Amino acid sequence: MKNRVLILTAASLLLALLLGQLNHYLAAWQIHVWCGGLFVTFAALRLSYGTGAAAVFAAGLLLDAGDPVTFGTQGFIFLAAHAVIFNIRARAPRDETVVGVVIALLANLGMFLALSFLRIDPVVEPARSWMRAFADLLVSQIALALIAPWFFSVQTRLLELTGNPLRDLSRRAY
Amino acid sequence: MLPQRFDQAKPFATLGIVLLAWLLIPTAVKRFARAGFFELQAPMETAASYVRDIQGYWALKTRTKDELIEAGRDLVRLNAAYESRLQQDASVRTELERLERILRLPTPAGFRAEPARVVRRDFSSWWQQLVIRKGRNYGITVGSPVIYAGGVVGRVTEVHAYTSVVELIGSPGVRIAATTEGDTRPISYQGAVNPTYGPAFGTVEYVPLDVFVTATNPQRLVTSGLGGVFPPNLTIGYMTRVEPSSDGLFKSGEVRLDAALSSLNEVTVLVPEAKDTGAR
Repeated sequence: MKNRVLILTAASLLLALLLGQLNHYLAAWQIHVWCGGLFVTFAALRLSYGTGAAAVFAAGLLLDAGDPVTFGTQGFIFLAAHAVIFNIRARAPRDETVVGVVIALLANLGMFLALSFLRIDPVVEPARSWMRAFADLLVSQIALALIAPWFFSVQTRLLELTGNPLRDLSRRAY
Repeated sequence: MLPQRFDQAKPFATLGIVLLAWLLIPTAVKRFARAGFFELQAPMETAASYVRDIQGYWALKTRTKDELIEAGRDLVRLNAAYESRLQQDASVRTELERLERILRLPTPAGFRAEPARVVRRDFSSWWQQLVIRKGRNYGITVGSPVIYAGGVVGRVTEVHAYTSVVELIGSPGVRIAATTEGDTRPISYQGAVNPTYGPAFGTVEYVPLDVFVTATNPQRLVTSGLGGVFPPNLTIGYMTRVEPSSDGLFKSGEVRLDAALSSLNEVTVLVPEAKDTGAR
């Protein structure tokens, strides 16, 4: 379990770094990509509850460390999203990449809105702030749909390369 | 085997327990964990910024000699202009010190300018911040003002071992005491919204009723120096619209910020120097 958590945290670190670089360049156009759904989906769909929860919580804390939010905010948003996806995963063909992408998009939508409600000041120009948030959300969803298959594949290969294949877990609930 | 209903509730029960445990963890532990997670990522981001600098260097190497000669000539002209300004500054400073001695005024604390490269720009609808490549290793302190050629960038909110985090003036949480150019009456500036594909803007409150601005005739908003964080007369932005506020005593309006804030590569941190406590 510990190995899997570390490997998925390393993958999250890589994704956070790449998204940080993407956002650095997009800042010139005042666009921001936030792909929280990607940090959660694979762990929630393919891993046991404990391993997945630990990995997504670590990923959330990783993001929290660099963002001006209370430490743990994104960690708990990720953990809540993980709990929801984990509960419904038995009803979906969760090994399919397309299903993973769709769930990642829905999770990203929900978490983005949750974070927006927490962060956007309802007093200072709320209408314009939400317009900007929706523009960011649109770009984020497009970026997530493009990145997700690659990132799921990276996570699967990393687990295989380190001797932690998924096959033995794919149909087990806990 | 556990009943199915409990199985389904287990993730949420675990979430609740973790949340409760998290609330009970001492703040010092959380602060340590946060610093640890930040420092884990910092070397990778800094390395990426060095790679960008190398890319820039090689891109510049492709320039022709004629372009370099032209740039050198422009620099000589700029240097000459700055030399002249420095001489004027020196005479103004001497005069200021003389007046301070006569009036026995306390000398305000100075600043040490610390230029720093930008590691990462992070501009979302939730926050606007930069990570710069200098931290405790260069004596940067929390709250230090950060400027660039066009005026105020923001202030340092976090200082780490080799990097610092700067909150931009466009960020909704930032408030600065300001004045209009050539005026001394204080105005409250606050960061507001950063629309996509356009420059960020802020809002102003407590603008005196006799201040009139339009989009075609904007007025420069500068720092007032009140509060002691920012030195006076640094450009914040341009007021493009003001209208009477609901109380009728003041006006409130919008400030357009420089579009260059979105693509900064280098900034200067003004690190406050210790006050001279020696008797005059």
